[in-house]
Amino acid sequence: MMTFSQVIDRSRPPETPSLPTFRMPNVYEAELRNGLKILLVEDRRLPVVTLRLGFPAGSKFDPPELPGLAEAAAALLTQGTKARTSRQIAEEAAAIGGTLEAQAGADSLVLRGNALAENLAKLLELAADVTLHATFPEEEIGIYKAKRKQELLAERSQAAYWAEEKLAETVFGPHPYARLNPTLESIERVERKALAAYRDRMLAPNTGVLIVLGALPGRDQVVKLVADRFGNWEPREAVRPPEAKFPKPQRSLKLVDRAGSVQADIRVGRLAVNRNDPDYFPLLVASTVLGGGASSRLFMHIREQKGFAYDAHSMLQPRKDAGLFSVVTQVRNEVVEPALEAVLEEMERIAKEPPTAEELADVKNYLSGIFVLGLETQSALANQLMMVRLMELPQNYLEQYTARVQAVTAEQVRSVAQKYIRPADASLVIVGDASRILKALETFGKPVIVKAE
Amino acid sequence: MKTVLLPALVFCVTKVMSADFRIAFEKYTLDNGMRVILAPDRSVPVVSIYLIYGVGARSEERGRTGFAHLFEHMMFQGSANAPKGLHFKLVESNGGTLNGSTHPDYTDYYEVLPSNKLAAGLWLEADRMRGLAITEENLANQKEAVKQERRLSFDNQPYATAIVDHWPQLAFRNWSNSHSLIGSFEDLEAATVEDVARFFKTYYAPNNAVLVLAGDLDTAEAKKLVGTYFGDIPPQPPPKHPDLSEPATIEARSATYADPHAQVPAVVIGYPGPPRRSADYYALAMLDVLLTGGESSRFQQNLVKGKQSVVQFEANLGWPFASASDYKEPGHYAIFLLHNPKFAGRDVVDQAQAEIDAIRKEGVGEAELNRARTFLRASRIHQLQSSLRRAMLLGQYELLDGNPDLINTELQEFLKVTSEQIRAAAAKYCTPERRFTLEIVPGKAETARGERGK
Repeated sequence: MMTFSQVIDRSRPPETPSLPTFRMPNVYEAELRNGLKILLVEDRRLPVVTLRLGFPAGSKFDPPELPGLAEAAAALLTQGTKARTSRQIAEEAAAIGGTLEAQAGADSLVLRGNALAENLAKLLELAADVTLHATFPEEEIGIYKAKRKQELLAERSQAAYWAEEKLAETVFGPHPYARLNPTLESIERVERKALAAYRDRMLAPNTGVLIVLGALPGRDQVVKLVADRFGNWEPREAVRPPEAKFPKPQRSLKLVDRAGSVQADIRVGRLAVNRNDPDYFPLLVASTVLGGGASSRLFMHIREQKGFAYDAHSMLQPRKDAGLFSVVTQVRNEVVEPALEAVLEEMERIAKEPPTAEELADVKNYLSGIFVLGLETQSALANQLMMVRLMELPQNYLEQYTARVQAVTAEQVRSVAQKYIRPADASLVIVGDASRILKALETFGKPVIVKAE
Repeated sequence: MKTVLLPALVFCVTKVMSADFRIAFEKYTLDNGMRVILAPDRSVPVVSIYLIYGVGARSEERGRTGFAHLFEHMMFQGSANAPKGLHFKLVESNGGTLNGSTHPDYTDYYEVLPSNKLAAGLWLEADRMRGLAITEENLANQKEAVKQERRLSFDNQPYATAIVDHWPQLAFRNWSNSHSLIGSFEDLEAATVEDVARFFKTYYAPNNAVLVLAGDLDTAEAKKLVGTYFGDIPPQPPPKHPDLSEPATIEARSATYADPHAQVPAVVIGYPGPPRRSADYYALAMLDVLLTGGESSRFQQNLVKGKQSVVQFEANLGWPFASASDYKEPGHYAIFLLHNPKFAGRDVVDQAQAEIDAIRKEGVGEAELNRARTFLRASRIHQLQSSLRRAMLLGQYELLDGNPDLINTELQEFLKVTSEQIRAAAAKYCTPERRFTLEIVPGKAETARGERGK
């Protein structure tokens, strides 16, 4: 041991071997006659199984007068079927060591479940029952409405709620991506008929993807279990999504007045691309150089050098038809002006000073490593596989992910930064106490002021 | 019949359980007293490095609230050979994640890395344990960062100030337990570099730490690396631990906090809890599963859905800063209930108490108890998929119990708990006579309660 330590230079970080190549686990695919796609992945580390059943549904299909319909349908899907009350579903899921719940995002609705491995058949039975036979009982709808309204009120007491909502409204304009949340009124208007109609229109075997991961019995046996439960489900015509039309980005400044805020929540955002766009990987790298993690330019400048904020980051949120690029930081009231100045300066700089070779290499390794780290649990892998299917990405997207990150050049970063990270056409949204920060903001233009209520 | 059948049934459950899984690990101690646990699992090329130190917010002195947390920030400001910024850069540029967190009884740090970077992570942790860069500039900068964190995560959030500052004052009598973990701006400002240096020397010694490596690693190679980097860091005299004892007599107390950011009212109720790993500890943890574990739990079915008084809830043995896994007495079995404003906070407290009283009077039926056992077993197994979670549990069980094998064996203790034990524990601990209650109502802090703030 001592001889070993003598030859090691402890004054410098050790040399380490390169990242081992990670082989994606084998995915076995099958399809039922009604078009339901099935993906199976073996994972025998622990005696558990994970299930996902996803559909191209979600809030972008909500009628304009009923934001929150998809979310309500998802929440109520597991609250009663022809055969089971909501309580029976909850108790039967708990009894197999499982959970079962559905969630709707902007582009999709996904039923998520898990159980102890020996109970896979029962998990599939419950999943099929709620998907095919949900009844949306009146009593459960009433409970949902009352609870969701209180939750919404609680969410609205947070500055981040307003920042995210107003930024999405500005960037996505008339497209449903602009609506992140229901309203108290729209929650009240949710009815059984609309929920059942949503389910009948949006959930169909021919658009669905079922993923089962874990300590599985034989593949044929799993496929047979799935066929027994989902085989009689009739295919339907797929619903066309709303047109992917978005407003042309232009500079705007909005102040959300939240009385009593002890700090200001700053967002600077812009319309960006989805994962299928050739600009996606270069922009992902550019956004990460700018504000991904604690070594990024934004973090170093705003937190480490200036001490303006605890957190300063940028992010890219790709959806199916477009994406949102944004910078996020929360700063104390007294430094709103220099902090926002610093954010815009860094956004400007990324196009003028593309990443150095070191920055670029670090960010590529970061993105590649984070990707591998994100495949450690069944749940994480299931989410990635579902994302590839529902976003209609190339089948080898996950296998190719790190290679595509590594292929990004500094010139590409510069080019996409000029295109998407320009302060000149960014939307600025600041949530804070207007009586304390309005003056500081006026140096950036005349803000449109709305109330946080 | 039931009483005869019961032991057999439990035995059966336990037997299936123990055959379910086993987290393999090896534990040894370096000459300088640092305990090391290696838990290899080579299925995914990820390794977690977890370092847990036996010092937390309860070791703070008067006039220095928030110091343990401020010190945790200083751990990321550079060390003898790793200049400021390198720690983040080295981990993140390799795709890793890292963090540190301050708890009442311990402070922990982790790096999750692609497994080829194990040596780099160990080098970083050893370099800062060996010699931290304690400078005026770093301290001044981190005081600002912590104040900003306080504004972001507490002062500008609903419920957070009530929970971190007011709840401990209501629920504890001993200052070591009741003071704010995040600290006051005055106390943070008062901290000096001498304080930092003394704290470092006293508590951040190898003999006051446990290092856990979990995931894709070769045991022999890992041992060699650990010896190289940590082996000659000198030990320090074992630190003195503060007297944390609370008065033996418990008097129920209640208070109301007007929260300027809250729009929906909430209540917190808590009961002083049992010693860690006692029979009552396992019984109360099972009571918690019955009351609040998932969709089929009593609070969900009876309060959220039945009475529709509660909107959301969370509860834990050790809430708000711990869970059953890292609960250490003195602490509470505490419950947070966000509730419908149509109900008075007092009525929601009574409803929650009535749910506990029902178990206190009648115990719990076998079907419901078995469901709770299965729920607990499954949620425990699920979390073990993550190498970081495995590392954390091994480290915490070594530090708090001196027995990391509890990761494999504790489940049986939970599953053995009987209806009668749960009933008795509820009767002993969860009564109104020993209950602390904090009502959080929307409103301006400086105005009378009931007046709504905008």
